[in-house]
Amino acid sequence: VKPPPFAYEAPRSVEAVLALLGEDARPLAGGQSLVPMLNFRVARPAMLVDLNRVEGLSHLRVDDDGALRIGALARHAEVERWEAVARGWPLLRQALRHVGHAPIRARGTVAGSCAHADPAAELPVCMRALDARMHVRSHSGTRVVAAADFFLSHLTTAMRPDELLVEIELPPLPAGARTGFAEHARTHGDWADAGAAVVVAPGHAAIALLGAGPAPVRAPDAEAALRDGAPRQDAARLAGALISDPWKRAMTTALVERALAEAGA
Amino acid sequence: MSLIGAPVPRREDDRILRGRGRFLDDIDRPRQLHAAFVRSPFARARIEAVRAPEAVTLFTASDLSGRVRPFPVAGPPGAELDESAGHPVLADGEVRYAGQPVAMVLAESRALAEDAAELVEVDYDPLDAVVSPRDAPEALMRWAKSAGDVDGAFAAAAHVVASRGALPRLVAVPMETRGAIAEPDPETGGLTVWVSSQDSHRPLAQLAHVLDRPDERIRVIVPDVGGAFGSKGGAPVEAAALAVAAEQLGRPVKWAEDRLENFLGAYQGRGVEAEVELALDDAGTILAVRARLWADLGAYLLPSTAIPPHTAAMLMCGAYAIPAAAVEVIGARTDKVPTGPYRGAGRPEAAFFLERAVDEAARVLGIDPVELRRRNLVRAWPYETALGWTYDSGDYERCLDMAVELLGDPPVADERYAAGTGVAMYVERAGGMWESADVTLEPGGRLVVRSGSSPHGQGHETTFAQIAAERLGIGIEDVVLCFGDSAVVPRGVGTFASRSVAMGGSAIVQAIDALIERAAPESPLAVAAREGGLHASARFESPMVFGSGAYAASVRIDRATGELEIVALAGVDDAGRIVNPLLAHGQVVGGIAQGLGECLSEAAEHDESGQLTNATLADYSLLTAAEMPPLRLGIVESPSPYNPLGAKGIGEGGAIGSLPAVANAVAAALGVAVDPPFTDATLWRVLHR
Repeated sequence: VKPPPFAYEAPRSVEAVLALLGEDARPLAGGQSLVPMLNFRVARPAMLVDLNRVEGLSHLRVDDDGALRIGALARHAEVERWEAVARGWPLLRQALRHVGHAPIRARGTVAGSCAHADPAAELPVCMRALDARMHVRSHSGTRVVAAADFFLSHLTTAMRPDELLVEIELPPLPAGARTGFAEHARTHGDWADAGAAVVVAPGHAAIALLGAGPAPVRAPDAEAALRDGAPRQDAARLAGALISDPWKRAMTTALVERALAEAGA
Repeated sequence: MSLIGAPVPRREDDRILRGRGRFLDDIDRPRQLHAAFVRSPFARARIEAVRAPEAVTLFTASDLSGRVRPFPVAGPPGAELDESAGHPVLADGEVRYAGQPVAMVLAESRALAEDAAELVEVDYDPLDAVVSPRDAPEALMRWAKSAGDVDGAFAAAAHVVASRGALPRLVAVPMETRGAIAEPDPETGGLTVWVSSQDSHRPLAQLAHVLDRPDERIRVIVPDVGGAFGSKGGAPVEAAALAVAAEQLGRPVKWAEDRLENFLGAYQGRGVEAEVELALDDAGTILAVRARLWADLGAYLLPSTAIPPHTAAMLMCGAYAIPAAAVEVIGARTDKVPTGPYRGAGRPEAAFFLERAVDEAARVLGIDPVELRRRNLVRAWPYETALGWTYDSGDYERCLDMAVELLGDPPVADERYAAGTGVAMYVERAGGMWESADVTLEPGGRLVVRSGSSPHGQGHETTFAQIAAERLGIGIEDVVLCFGDSAVVPRGVGTFASRSVAMGGSAIVQAIDALIERAAPESPLAVAAREGGLHASARFESPMVFGSGAYAASVRIDRATGELEIVALAGVDDAGRIVNPLLAHGQVVGGIAQGLGECLSEAAEHDESGQLTNATLADYSLLTAAEMPPLRLGIVESPSPYNPLGAKGIGEGGAIGSLPAVANAVAAALGVAVDPPFTDATLWRVLHR
């Protein structure tokens, strides 16, 4: 498994990247999904645009407005280990420990995982639960896409080929919020078959599911029930009802219940 | 203190862990070309034509015509074999499995070779594939044996218990995939082949057959090998194509396969179904066993393809004194890559099928499974089984007692969890045939040992050095081992079937004894110093030796989700005398990890068209450290009378005993036997049907 021939560019600025991106040019960040796809000759872009030398994409910071901003090159491991993330958005740390294995997290990026949009990946589900705002840029400007509108299907997002996911913005969680993440994979670090990411606060509930379709989904009935004071078992059952396969429904129900228990619901 | 039995740390680890090992892909020869193979996308098809642009250096079956023969066919004694089913080097006119090599492309780098391979056009006429061994119209191998009054025993039995089971195919997944380099020597007309293989002897013999030349004209060098688990028991068929191309072009040709090729093209293990019947009297004594095994042998008979199902059938008496037995193997021809030995190679199959039947008997007779086993154990050795193998030594009851004690209290079933405990015995054949060793004591006191048995992870550089140093009375640091180069080491048999210490180690003992005898009455060191060195060699021969063991597992299953937790696993292995307890422990733990992978997640899945649907490590789930349950291990040492070390083999016990113990525990928890892998979804469906 060697990749087919491709051109390689490693620009220094976002503008230069955007000038290159298009139908046949793919951005390369951590490469933990793209490089295996190249090696299997499943992805055959004419050009790879390496982001790793670009200034201004590596940031990971909390702004004055209280929002967390994750730059396109922020690695899983950095996000996983930063105390400010653990305090403000503990869901990310809870989920990141399930992302592949340590070497993959050392190189792979949070934004890259989201742009790749594997339905079995942990981070897109978290973005749905956290109501992330995806900052997408092209040579014609920047637009902000809500996570709800970003993840469309299997390996498919709302981005055009000439666009780059430059930043993920996570608004601060409601006061008193607690989070939980649970997933089922055949072995640790494997792709998940089912999973749940939850955020619970007084008057607030977000339940996002992995494995319920080709993109992460929210479970609005379960969220409403939880806000109305239903016990977590009932909310979990409502969330599981979104899945038709009987075993997966049972598993998802259990996972939602576990995630809610972790969040203190 | 004796070096035999000492926990000497692995001497090879410093070099290997620092990245100083030299594996096949670390070797580059001047002017070498790189090969990539065009592999069939169909499980069964006629090949109408193979075309490539002029610029592509292409070899097809017609380019090899007259220069290679199919790989040799071999099988166990008494087996009926399809002699025409030797694996062709490149497919000629038809393909019989998805992944079969159809053409070889050469280029200046592997990446360029893969680019060129994409330009090769093959016209296929696809045919229906045979996927299920039970529906296969052809058999590649048939074998049967009956001894004792089986029919009489079944007719007179108070109870006849029947059970069935199936083990899926598994992929060995060595960390280092297969590979070879062929280099011609224009001056001598000889050929040198580097190959990632378990030893040099079998690749040499196979290549000599396929290339039809005396084996002196081929030198085989096995470098460091990053794992095999049985899957590198000979030369890969691809190596023969490399040899022809290298000689035709006068340049070395290298092929280091990738993971995808390894999944598709390396022979797989297991893939056996069986029906087993036991005849018992009212007291629970097993009077006879009957078993029929359907083995999914795949498309061709590689030299070792027929061995595992035969071993499985021969071990269908297990640890029990069963006076009559009738076994039959149907080696079905399917349109899949051939099967062959994989850690255990027939032994886990036998233990799984037989121990499931014994548990079923315990259920039908209302006798505790441990007690039923106890009533039937072999208790005196040597013991010749009804099928004709002689167990050399053992203490099966002690293994059973220890395993039960180590396991401790069983988990309790409740509203949330189903729970169960399972035990299983095993007896495994190890060693046998012969092995060689060649020792040279240099004038300075350094001992160079050349062994016919070479390592691929077992730790020969440590255990063999312990054996040699102890026997000669020198320090272990003065012993140097040489392996794997057919121009340097004596002809031997090789490393498989848990045979290295018992056979290779015993050959070293004999060679050292010959060295001492040659020097007597002086000391070998004195003679070596005076005469510029002292040399001796040995060829050690012995009957097979039989390791044994008992495993016990307790499990609980979440009723809501089907999630299986192995609460504890106890394993007791009797591999005769242990040369190095540290390495023995590593072998047991590694074997258990593979056995549990088979229990929990592993299976090569072929769809109805014969495609392997999980041919990557993203889809084929190997067990990780996170899934390992608490292990409670014990060792019993019943020395073998058949070799000077009293050794048997420890390489496979963990892979043999863990599977039936966990399978029986899962069956106890569910109240019904299920075939592995015991995925959560499978168990949930059983709980909720």
